[in-house]
Amino acid sequence: MPKRLLGLLLVLPALAVIAFLFILPLIMSAVGAFQVEGAFGWGNFTKTFDLYTKDIIFTVVIVSLSTVLIGIASIAIGGYLTLGEHPVAVAILRWLYRWPMFIPFIVVGQILRTFLSKNGMMNNTFINLGLLSPLDAVSFLDWRGIVIAFVWKQTPFVALLVAGAMASINRDTIEAARNLGASRLRLLLEIVVPQVAMTLTVGLILSFVTMMSVLSVPLMINAQSPTMLTADIAFRVNSYGDYGVANALGLISLVLAASVAWIYLRASLKERA
Amino acid sequence: MERDGFLELRGIASRYGATQVLTDIDLSIAKGEFVALLGSSGCGKTTLLRLLAGFISPSAGEVKVRHRDVTYLPPDKRGMALVFQSYALWPHMTVAQNIGYGLKLKGVPRQEIATRVAAMQSLLGLDGLEARKPSALSGGQRQRVALGRALAIDPEILLLDEPLSNLDARIRLTVRHELRALQKRLGITAIHVTHDREEAMVMADRIIILNAGRIAQQGTPEDVYNRPASAFVAAFMGAENVLFLNGTPQGDQFAIAAGPANAAGTVPLGGRPLAAGPVEARFRPEAARLFLADEIAVIGPGITFRGEVAAVSYPGGHWRHVVRLGQTEIMADAERAFEPGTRVAVFVPAEALFLFNSPEAVSAFPISRTSSGKVHA
Repeated sequence: MPKRLLGLLLVLPALAVIAFLFILPLIMSAVGAFQVEGAFGWGNFTKTFDLYTKDIIFTVVIVSLSTVLIGIASIAIGGYLTLGEHPVAVAILRWLYRWPMFIPFIVVGQILRTFLSKNGMMNNTFINLGLLSPLDAVSFLDWRGIVIAFVWKQTPFVALLVAGAMASINRDTIEAARNLGASRLRLLLEIVVPQVAMTLTVGLILSFVTMMSVLSVPLMINAQSPTMLTADIAFRVNSYGDYGVANALGLISLVLAASVAWIYLRASLKERA
Repeated sequence: MERDGFLELRGIASRYGATQVLTDIDLSIAKGEFVALLGSSGCGKTTLLRLLAGFISPSAGEVKVRHRDVTYLPPDKRGMALVFQSYALWPHMTVAQNIGYGLKLKGVPRQEIATRVAAMQSLLGLDGLEARKPSALSGGQRQRVALGRALAIDPEILLLDEPLSNLDARIRLTVRHELRALQKRLGITAIHVTHDREEAMVMADRIIILNAGRIAQQGTPEDVYNRPASAFVAAFMGAENVLFLNGTPQGDQFAIAAGPANAAGTVPLGGRPLAAGPVEARFRPEAARLFLADEIAVIGPGITFRGEVAAVSYPGGHWRHVVRLGQTEIMADAERAFEPGTRVAVFVPAEALFLFNSPEAVSAFPISRTSSGKVHA
């Protein structure tokens, strides 16, 4: 008996940390979302949907679009690392593609702010190359900027997972398809990607959830309306001290993130069955 | 066998980095022939197969099919299909999709793919499994799906990379015969890589033994078994008993001088180019006959060794003795058991005694090199 108590005692600190720093605040926020001036009600949600429906849709669209683009880019990178026949190009890509992973979101926002603005480096380069007239130059610092930032920052992470999974599939399965005459694109899409589908899904879901929670990028790149939910939460708390609506927005983000996780869980259960 | 030069290899060499994997491979394979590439691991047999399949290019030489140079053609333009050792079935596709994928790549209409896949399934005894994924199949079924996938595109040449080595021993024996019968029925040319001597013997029309990237010998199974061209081939084909003797050719006979463990004797030369001096003698345990030392045994041409039984065991069918002859030990089988310590005479008939003028025979009794020629039974 004392031995079992000792075991409990050992995990107690960890349990306490999770309970008091994670579960309790989560419950309190969730409860807070339904409280309007001390009484329970749907007030916060009515207000949220009145003010922020556009932002909710904006967030879902931006993050979904980014997820799709990240998926395509990481399949392309992983695919080239696995099937590429030019050893030098493969080595360079392998060395290069991970770097954005080590750059914080806020720095990504800052870099892209100077790069994508109306007089930014990108437009200047195009103008100097004669590809764009100065009058046609537009700022990319809107939804496009957020998508570019997300894709640039998150692709290496997913590509790392996907390339690892691709490297560990049986090479014979690729050669068997080559033997039967499959082109490089078919090899990638019909033989390689299906075998790493689960890893790709996990990477994309983790990215989706990460992007849902990024505050710095929308603040740096797109400080206008509509914007992302994280910016709205920060605004509600910092400018109005309105924790009720902030909690309601937080709960909505949680539901969005959880719904993606649910899709993943269902798919993985199906795979196992 | 008459060769019509259906598949020809001329001066093929291959290197991997600084390592020479294959050297001077010349081969001519007839249409419909079943050829086994036999060798121990690392001898280059898989490299040769991958080179034929088109996954690697040779550093020298050329591969021709029907007099057409295919050396640098991509894998799918050679009319060859490869069955992998790991089967390499696509885990996300069903049996029918696996078998039909090659046809789909060729743009065959869906209806025809279904017909041909169904025909392939019944040919290979895979009926009713079309909707299964490879993970839900047994080893033997997977092997047949891999074979079906290769055969579905109707290749002229079937390349088999140790396709039976992942099957358990009992299934393997039946699959050998099934595969051989199927190959005969389809009249397809097959090149089968294996390290299993017996598998090569029962399946192939012709065996090509590779050693260190070169062809050590090629011929019919009886040929390489009964007339090994070198000590390596003899060892690889099971003649693992090795002894060093001295002898001189006399007319069409080879006279072996009496040695510390053997009486003098003569064996017919039979056209073997043996020179006077030290020779390496090899024979199989089952070719030897054991007698008590005081029994006088003159049965025919051959050679008699004298020694002492060191150990005896019963592997099944016969008793296997370890016999000490001076400083070496040999193995010899007999119908009855001789107790350890018994003085015995080991008689090896001339036709089962393989003699080679090998450079190693110069030193009197070097350590037996049987381990280098070890085979998996």
